Amino acid sequence: MGQKTEISNLLANLPRLGAGLTYHEPFLADLLQKQPEVDFLEVHGDRYLDAPPARMDELAMLAEHFTVIPHFTGLSLGSAEGLDAVYLENVAHLIKQLKSPWWSEHIGYTRANGILLGQPAPLPFTKEGIEVMTRNIVTARRAIAAPLILENVFGPLVWPGSEMDPARFIGEVLGFGGVGLLLDVADLFTYAPGLGIDPIKLLDRLPLDRVVQVHFSSSHDSQADSSESRVQPVAEGVWQLLNAVVTRAPVRCLCLELNDNPPPLGDALKEVERARTVGRQYKRWN
Amino acid sequence: MELIRQQKLVVQLCTDHALLEEFLAAPAQVTTREGLTVGAESLAKLNPGQLRQFARLLRMRRLGEAGTALPLTRRALGHRFAELFTAYALQNPPPGKRLGQDAIAFVNYLLQSNPTKPLNPVWLMSLASYEAARVEVEWLGQRKLLVRKFPHALRRLLTAFEADGVPKGDFSGWTLAVWCSSSSGRQPRHWLW
Ligand SMILES: [Fe+2]
Repeated sequence: MGQKTEISNLLANLPRLGAGLTYHEPFLADLLQKQPEVDFLEVHGDRYLDAPPARMDELAMLAEHFTVIPHFTGLSLGSAEGLDAVYLENVAHLIKQLKSPWWSEHIGYTRANGILLGQPAPLPFTKEGIEVMTRNIVTARRAIAAPLILENVFGPLVWPGSEMDPARFIGEVLGFGGVGLLLDVADLFTYAPGLGIDPIKLLDRLPLDRVVQVHFSSSHDSQADSSESRVQPVAEGVWQLLNAVVTRAPVRCLCLELNDNPPPLGDALKEVERARTVGRQYKRWN
Repeated sequence: MELIRQQKLVVQLCTDHALLEEFLAAPAQVTTREGLTVGAESLAKLNPGQLRQFARLLRMRRLGEAGTALPLTRRALGHRFAELFTAYALQNPPPGKRLGQDAIAFVNYLLQSNPTKPLNPVWLMSLASYEAARVEVEWLGQRKLLVRKFPHALRRLLTAFEADGVPKGDFSGWTLAVWCSSSSGRQPRHWLW
């Protein structure tokens, strides 16, 4: 009970940021002109570990103009082999430099036996999975003072041999770890059916009081086999889930997540504005 | 812990195309060879479609990163960039943990796999090697001094890339490229002759 109160207080004190998006280098020039339309930036934190000086200067400049939230994939909190101590040290150093209100990683893993994946793989929904996550979260929280929030990874792989349903698994990881939730509604929308659950039913079973941030995006799955940049609108089903989360959860910010081949900034900002309006409607911010 | 071995195998399956095909044909053979015991039966039930889909997503992510590291090479190759990268990635797992290492390995693969049938435009490999050298110095910072010679007029070519589209012409000539890092934390200096 004591631990639950402590985390609730911590999350309640986090700032209400509004709506923002993932930063990509081609946005830089336009971003500074459109600063009023962006409440915060999420950066791929892994890009700034061991990074060249020019990239670090750019990050410092961004942090002067925006609230910057670092989002990581490479720390791999779900790795059964444990954390990479040097990687953790670098992550801790970057977060300290950025003075971010919080930082994020995944309920999944990207590293095993020296190979690093660019995208997290889910964990089996088992007691062992919870133990691994909890152990690594404790190590990470010892090294990093800023609050940690973790993102759901429901697909595309589903491990056979689940011992519990995904909502309980996430609830236990967040509970034992004492951390918040970064709820990716596109991941929920795309992969909940593969787990045999309706996305909205799964949403209702998640610990929504822990949601700090929401990721929404066009799709996790339909990236074409091409390196051409393309614009895909966020699906209406994803917007419906986003609405449902904002009505039910004390969200601090909504983030348009853009991975490879980002669209032109102007197009992305239209989606950001729509999200900002949803948050305003439910009085999550002014 | 069995999960360590299971995670290792899943990562291998999703980054090593040949191993994935072998596993899908005879899962028990692969799990036994990889030393899985209690978790073997469960892993053998992994959905083939999902494994392939995840492997494809990982290749797409690598492709995106390589395109960021080699922007002009990607522009010059157009849709062939994705084709060539996919052919490379099917045979080669990601070579390291640092951003840019995959792009460098891809350029080396192009250099080794097309010696008799060079890629078009004629200056493509000079451009790709130049961008890979830049990544090596500016992203990875592993070298204090790097000197490279290229059999095309790169300065003119890079200027031509400032306009839209892909430059026309053979850009014949020679280029000497030098990068020099004075201290860590400072952008390396760079000259083209
Ligand atoms: Fe996400």
